Amino acid sequence: MDADSKKFSRPKIDGWIFFLVGLIAALIVGWIVFPLVLYSEKSQPLSFSHSSHGPESDAGLECEECHFFYKDGTFSGIPGIRKCMDCHEDPESPLSEDPEEVKLFTDYVGPEKEIPWLIYSRQPDCVYFPHIAHVKMANIECKVCHGDFATRKTPPIYKVNRLTRYSIDIWGRNIAGYKKNTWDKMKMDDCADCHKRKGKENNNACFVCHK
Amino acid sequence: MKKEKYTKGNKYGMVIDLDKCIGCGICTIACASENNVSVLYDESDKTRNITWLQIYMVTNGKEFPETEVVYIPRPCMQCDNPPCVPVCPATATRKDPNTRIVSQIYTRCIGCRYCMAACPYHARYFNWFDPLFPEGMDRYLSPEVSPRMRGVVEKCTFCHHRLMRAKAKAYAEGRRDLKEDEYIPACVQACPTKAITFGDLNKPKHKVSKLIKSPYAFRLLERLNTEPKVYYMSTKNWVRRMADNYLEGEFK
Amino acid sequence: MELSRRNFIKFAAGGLGGTMLSPLPWKLIDDIAIWTQNWSWVPVPARGKFSYIKTVCTLCPGACGIEVRKVGSRAVKIEGRSDYPVNQGAICPLGMAGLQILYNGGIRWKAPMKRVGPRGSQEWKEIPWDEAIDELAIRIKGLRDKGNPEKLAAIDGNQSRSTMALLIKRLINSIGSPNYMFMPREEDTHATANFLMQGTNGPIAFDLENADLILSFGCGLLDGWGAPGRMLSTWRQWANNGKKHKTYLVQVDPRASNTASKADLWLAPFPGTEAALAMGIAHVIIKGKLYHKKFIENHSFGFYDWFDEKGVEHKGFSKIVLEKYSPQMVENITGIKRRVIIEVAKKFASAHAPIAIAGKGKGTLPGSLYEFMAVHALNALKGRVNKEGGSLITDDVPLAQWSDVEYDSVAKDGLIKERVDCAGTPQYPFSRSLIHKFTDAINSGHGSPIDTLLLCSANPVYTIPDSQSFIEALAKIPFIVSFSPFMDETSLMADLILPDHTHLEKIVDIVWPTGIQYPLYALSQPVVKPIYRTKHSGDVIISLADRIGGQVAGSFQWTNFEEALKERVRGLYDSGNEKVSWADIKKNGYWYIPAHSFGRWTDIFKTPSKKFEFFSTEIELALKAYSKEKSFDNALINLGISSKGDEVYMPHYEEIKSGADKKEYPLLLFPMELINLASGWIGNPPFLNKTLFNHQLKRDDLFVEVNPKTASQYRLKEGSKAIIRSPKGELKVRIHLFDGAMPGVIFVPFGLGHTAYDKHLKGKGVNPNKIIDQVEDPLSGQPVWWNTRVELIKI
Repeated sequence: MDADSKKFSRPKIDGWIFFLVGLIAALIVGWIVFPLVLYSEKSQPLSFSHSSHGPESDAGLECEECHFFYKDGTFSGIPGIRKCMDCHEDPESPLSEDPEEVKLFTDYVGPEKEIPWLIYSRQPDCVYFPHIAHVKMANIECKVCHGDFATRKTPPIYKVNRLTRYSIDIWGRNIAGYKKNTWDKMKMDDCADCHKRKGKENNNACFVCHK
Repeated sequence: MKKEKYTKGNKYGMVIDLDKCIGCGICTIACASENNVSVLYDESDKTRNITWLQIYMVTNGKEFPETEVVYIPRPCMQCDNPPCVPVCPATATRKDPNTRIVSQIYTRCIGCRYCMAACPYHARYFNWFDPLFPEGMDRYLSPEVSPRMRGVVEKCTFCHHRLMRAKAKAYAEGRRDLKEDEYIPACVQACPTKAITFGDLNKPKHKVSKLIKSPYAFRLLERLNTEPKVYYMSTKNWVRRMADNYLEGEFK
Repeated sequence: MELSRRNFIKFAAGGLGGTMLSPLPWKLIDDIAIWTQNWSWVPVPARGKFSYIKTVCTLCPGACGIEVRKVGSRAVKIEGRSDYPVNQGAICPLGMAGLQILYNGGIRWKAPMKRVGPRGSQEWKEIPWDEAIDELAIRIKGLRDKGNPEKLAAIDGNQSRSTMALLIKRLINSIGSPNYMFMPREEDTHATANFLMQGTNGPIAFDLENADLILSFGCGLLDGWGAPGRMLSTWRQWANNGKKHKTYLVQVDPRASNTASKADLWLAPFPGTEAALAMGIAHVIIKGKLYHKKFIENHSFGFYDWFDEKGVEHKGFSKIVLEKYSPQMVENITGIKRRVIIEVAKKFASAHAPIAIAGKGKGTLPGSLYEFMAVHALNALKGRVNKEGGSLITDDVPLAQWSDVEYDSVAKDGLIKERVDCAGTPQYPFSRSLIHKFTDAINSGHGSPIDTLLLCSANPVYTIPDSQSFIEALAKIPFIVSFSPFMDETSLMADLILPDHTHLEKIVDIVWPTGIQYPLYALSQPVVKPIYRTKHSGDVIISLADRIGGQVAGSFQWTNFEEALKERVRGLYDSGNEKVSWADIKKNGYWYIPAHSFGRWTDIFKTPSKKFEFFSTEIELALKAYSKEKSFDNALINLGISSKGDEVYMPHYEEIKSGADKKEYPLLLFPMELINLASGWIGNPPFLNKTLFNHQLKRDDLFVEVNPKTASQYRLKEGSKAIIRSPKGELKVRIHLFDGAMPGVIFVPFGLGHTAYDKHLKGKGVNPNKIIDQVEDPLSGQPVWWNTRVELIKI
């Protein structure tokens, strides 16, 4: 009997080990390997420091000075090279000793070429997002959606989803889609939740945000 | 189904005066270029091509030289009781509660074409092909309207992006209310004879609200109870008679 | 611990469970859903700052103001410009689709090209601009060295008053060739009629906005005539005038066109008998003494019988009209009922501000001179000359003249040689350009009298009536240079391509858009930077002159085209009417004189009699000069005039003859122009194809409009295939039964049947120009393009 029971129980334990191995391997794949495979990393063409331009810095620029609204209410987004050249005008007298500024002069200001910034918050083409409705009419601060960019020394690494070609910041940096701060995620549900919370449920009609 | 009641909000509508329309087709072109509508090599294939605003030509059927030609431009009727909406299995098309414009979300559409079957006005179009913008023609595409992919249905949106454009401008000026002429679709702006009038049917002072009270105003296939928000006007009896199916002696 | 089947399943179950507890499947489902929404071949338009650029559309001579919406550096939409006097916000379908001309790489020449294979093989080599201009300069120098500068010719499609046209003409003349030709157009017929009856050289000017009755003898006022934007916004004004003051529109048209359908009254005389109808109306007015007595008695010549210096009695206009054009006689000619003629005449006579206007379709092709005179005679009868809401006589735009060309001896010798197209010779005294005679001259001789032909802003292979003969002529010309920005039919036959910018990439001027009633000068300015390696033709001509050198270079002392423009614009400033500098013009984009001084009948007529001439002294002088060489009767025959006596000098009805046998060719081919189908030198953009009905174009088949009665004679049904045969050739078409088409006439649209351009246009439909059997219009010698006898063959 003893021998028999041993005989029967041993494969049972073995089996659970296989199950566990499978389970753990799958969890590792799903939680760690998968995100690494799904996203590719890109770095910004220039390591732009918001903190040395922002309100707290010597430059002392408010957000709206570079990210402004046109008269027709459309949002300028990331400023063009001409805006940079308002201050960084002369390669002979740079404003800092930063090698990134040298790069700015040689690669972009000189040939007057636009900097191909990678945009973290770029929504799909089917989405219409009026900044002015949120910033001006609803008084929402930039960081509510974008996070506190103004104090960043270096831009975060830009990760792009290999399948969708969208920035990781749309789905959120957490692979499970878990969200701690308002700015962690920018999917449709996040917009809809916020509208709902603020009693703007009518703005969840399809055409309000889709084009 | 619970009958939705909207007393607030906007009710955008259109009045097309057929006496003024000369069928030049500029509304169709303004619409296509405003809304990134692609062009097939064979546009004469009317079962495959896309014209959000289609012009129909009708004649009074009389012999030469009594013949008369009238053109009927047909955008989406933006029905207040749209037959296309309840049939959509993917909720890709809805009637917007704020504006009462029937929306169509391309990325949501699964291409079953049920809505096309439901629409009595043939106002909906299916993308049988991927959009064609050969040899650099994609350079004139407007970012205000998303280009469609093969396999989805599209239709006139009353140039909804122009409403958004007008709103953004109003917000920039610190207003929430739009003036009567601030939001008009591309066809209305383009119509060289000003045959098309656009406005809010909920606002009695808007020109459209006055025009629809005219004895010459009518809608297409009115007795289907789709409640179109596109009205027509014609002083010609034979044109008005053509707008619906009447029994003999029934048309007043 | 072996991996038995059972264990493997447990492993797999664990793996599955683990996967389900990880975000992998849920995230993947979401991503795949998004992936299916974004195909790499579906374009995503780039965003950018919105801006609006105001300019003027130059796709047709109408020159409407447009506003182009840009996103970043791209132009994305063209809209009408409401602050521009001509069109007040309204534009036509072609203008609206202009971006498909700019951005369609499939139809544009992207760089200068040199032909390397045989002609027509379409083997080209891209060459640098310097080399291209040099090649042409060397060839022209060669002609001049041999003493044959007249072997250079140009065919120009630019508006005759524009700086581009003047520049091309200046080039051709300063080199020493008289052979500057331009595309035939209706404006010339109006201008000649003006000259013969009023002695003025001014452009046509009809104050349609202020007229209360418009008697249009075939002008497609709502089908794209004149400046389409202006006409359509005028139509909206007429309609908005309210029931009481609503403008009454009478349309004379053989077909239920848009204009005819919208008109208050539609008259359909037999094509070519419009002059008789006008004379019939004149009869009723004269007989009822309903004319403007003050104007007729004090300011007109030849209305009553008169004696000349030699004491010979001449019949007056009134007598001839009363004798020959009674309503009954006119009914016999035109098919319009007597009763209707009288009714229309009375309406015309009793209207407060009536106007009669001659023309056909879009007004792009020449008309019949006597017909235009007959129609204009109606304006004179009612004293509607230079009156508000009438036909106006105006001064030209006060632009400065360039300094005179200083001809060298080679040029002087070349310029005295006769023009190849005989325009301006005693046989064609009133024409300045006759391309069909140019064609004849080349086709009739052994060698070509022309060595080098320059083609600017024109596509004659496609747009010239009887295009086959023109193609034959082109084949005989040794060297053809095209300035066309487009790979059109004509440029594909060229040897050297010097591609111009398109209308949205360059600066050009518009001097008096066609049909407008006030002097207007406008600038069309670049909206986007040139997107290909093209060059402004004005600049090319200036640097070409520079390379030819000598006196030629001396006549082109500008460094670029803009300087040449600037020099002319200084005239506006100097005229003192209003202070306008170059900077103002560049900023506003236009300049005009809105106020007109009406009346002034005592000093506006520049005819020999200083009066409005029913009896044209100019015709008398021209005939005298011509009949010096031959007998008077022969002179009349050569001029194509069949009437006799005093009628020759006066507006009257001339039957247009056709060489074709009426029995063999029982039907008439009438080419028609549609507002939503570009029929000029610019190909129809794809957007316009959307507006064509299935009864106009189906696949590649063109439908022609035929009255059901006519069709039934040939046992043709809707959609039947048929051949239209004229003495010049055949067209394969399908039949559309249309009640609005006159029986016995086949209506074929201009604008399709291209053999060049891209897949959107090439091979669709047929081009009626191919089989047009043209005859010469009496007196003017211009080709008559609407009188081709044809037969219809069922297939």
